[in-house]
Amino acid sequence: MPRLLATQSHVVHGYVGNKAATFPLQCLGWDVDCCNSVQFSNHTGYGMDRVFGNITNQNDLEALLGGVFANFATDYDAILSGYLPNKESVNCMGQHYSKFKAENKKLLWLMDPVMGDEGQLYVNEDVIPEYQKLTFSPDSLVDIITPNQYELEILYGKKISSREELKQSLQELHKTVPVIVVTSCSSELFDDKGYIYCVASIKGENPVVYRIPFIDTYFTGVGDLFSALLLDRITKLYQDETSTLKFADQIDDIINVLQRVLKMTKYHSKENIKSKMGSVKGMKDMELRIVESRDLYHTIPIVNNDLPIDFSNKKYLYEEL
Amino acid sequence: MVEETRQILSIQSHVVHGYVGNKAATFPLQYRGWNVDALNTVQFSNHPGYGSFTGFREDEENLYKIIESGLVNGLGIKYNAILTGYLPSVDSLQGISRLVNDLCLQKQIPWILDPVLGDNGKLYVDMECVTMYKKILSTCQVYLTVPNQFEMETLTGMKITNMNTLKQSFQKFHQLYPGVQRVIVSSIDFPTNLKQKPNCNTYTVAFTEFSNFDNFQYFTVDKIEAHFNGSGDLFSALLVDMLFPTSDREVSVSLAVAVGKALDLTHQILNKTYRLTVKLSGAQSGTHPHPPSVPHIKDLKLIQSAELLRVRTEDIDIRYPLSQV
Repeated sequence: MPRLLATQSHVVHGYVGNKAATFPLQCLGWDVDCCNSVQFSNHTGYGMDRVFGNITNQNDLEALLGGVFANFATDYDAILSGYLPNKESVNCMGQHYSKFKAENKKLLWLMDPVMGDEGQLYVNEDVIPEYQKLTFSPDSLVDIITPNQYELEILYGKKISSREELKQSLQELHKTVPVIVVTSCSSELFDDKGYIYCVASIKGENPVVYRIPFIDTYFTGVGDLFSALLLDRITKLYQDETSTLKFADQIDDIINVLQRVLKMTKYHSKENIKSKMGSVKGMKDMELRIVESRDLYHTIPIVNNDLPIDFSNKKYLYEEL
Repeated sequence: MVEETRQILSIQSHVVHGYVGNKAATFPLQYRGWNVDALNTVQFSNHPGYGSFTGFREDEENLYKIIESGLVNGLGIKYNAILTGYLPSVDSLQGISRLVNDLCLQKQIPWILDPVLGDNGKLYVDMECVTMYKKILSTCQVYLTVPNQFEMETLTGMKITNMNTLKQSFQKFHQLYPGVQRVIVSSIDFPTNLKQKPNCNTYTVAFTEFSNFDNFQYFTVDKIEAHFNGSGDLFSALLVDMLFPTSDREVSVSLAVAVGKALDLTHQILNKTYRLTVKLSGAQSGTHPHPPSVPHIKDLKLIQSAELLRVRTEDIDIRYPLSQV
């Protein structure tokens, strides 16, 4: 069984961060060791006045990761980081993960540089240089990053307003990072506005664009589920040398899983309401149905025929960038 | 028909590596159709059975706010059950227990309390916590508590050495803690030198209900020659699943059926863990019925047990014999 160490947020209720990543990966056969960077009652989309809990302070995080790596130095096949609340926690993760990766060259390191979305930063500004350092340092050991377009722009240091600029930014990042998946790109960059776009790029190959029908609802945790699934699929790609799987197809597979989970979530949401940020009922209804989707995480899902949902696989791969 | 997902608030420890506390309870419950709101009372790198660990305890005030201001008043979540396990201090024991008790009374939520005190003759909390547990149990309304033998002995001040003393301890428990409606004492190991229990290949799981604390029932369960970390946490989680098979609170299952099924599934997982951990050394075990040292299995193989966890509740056999005293 493969084993992952995942350092990101924990919410008691709902599914973001480690709560969105853990169960799907467990269903795919992973032992998931969760190091929680915060413990909150629920995610921040409910409104900041409704979030209770603590962040794991620097000393505690330091001690935790130190203890894990001291006791289980060779146990991991992959390491993942997601939401970290401040400069100190990013720095602490970065130091431990870099050391660990240097000692275990074969393991995969996926870093989701969680900083914000759609022009809004939701971490302190001093986090930015920490992620830039981890991404661009000449001896960077990060294998995979999964920014959204806004986070890519922050890392790159420039706004991206054309396909050409997007391509340039990926080339720049590929100097140090082999795999980049831009999980959501503005439709402004592309012709058809009725879709959302995902761009996957592996060093030395042309980036590929995926086009996904736009769902006019607010879901939280999709990015966290994406990076978890990406780690699973890429591990399968790299670890099995006889594998005939292709990177581009693996991304398609992941998008199919996400679409199934979103369909399941919409099916269970009571009134199919458009969720609004800040409305408790709306937010609760739009929590990803991670548990109900138990049988949907594999490439070939086990489909419950009692559900009036079309789970068949579709092709989302659109074109080369 | 599609079953409605059940909701549980599980207040227990968290370890980064391994499967005890919330890490032992969450995956099995999720896999069997529960949204598990896991509130972590501590975050440790691993359980103490490894010899060394790092980490920290959450303070009482923070835990209290998450439950009261966040989950209950902020989100208004309707729980089908609340499970409490390890709480790291007298303060958190007192504060969180009082809060959970009020909540459960007000909203008619069954509270399953695992009085985490120690095991195998050793306390792993200080005496103040023991006193606090006694106070909580004597003043709160608890749907079910699941002490192990040592915890039952500690809570009643009576040694359990045979069926007779077991019966007395149930009676004493009821006298001391009348607000507790059901008790299951897991893994009772009677001293092997007693004539009435010559067979040391089994242990006893005994339980009784409020209505009838003078009598009890028990399962005689095959022993697996190993010491497992997390098996009690797994058992209490599966027990909750068997007790509340649907989100409809009116649907109730007899305690004997729930215990029997939870035991069966727990044992299948322990057996699988044993087979995967103690690799094929079993070839000699036929000639050595009493291996010189009992293996210490630090991590349950929960992920590898996913297939076992798929079983529908109605299809689980109760394979162990049930007796009545």
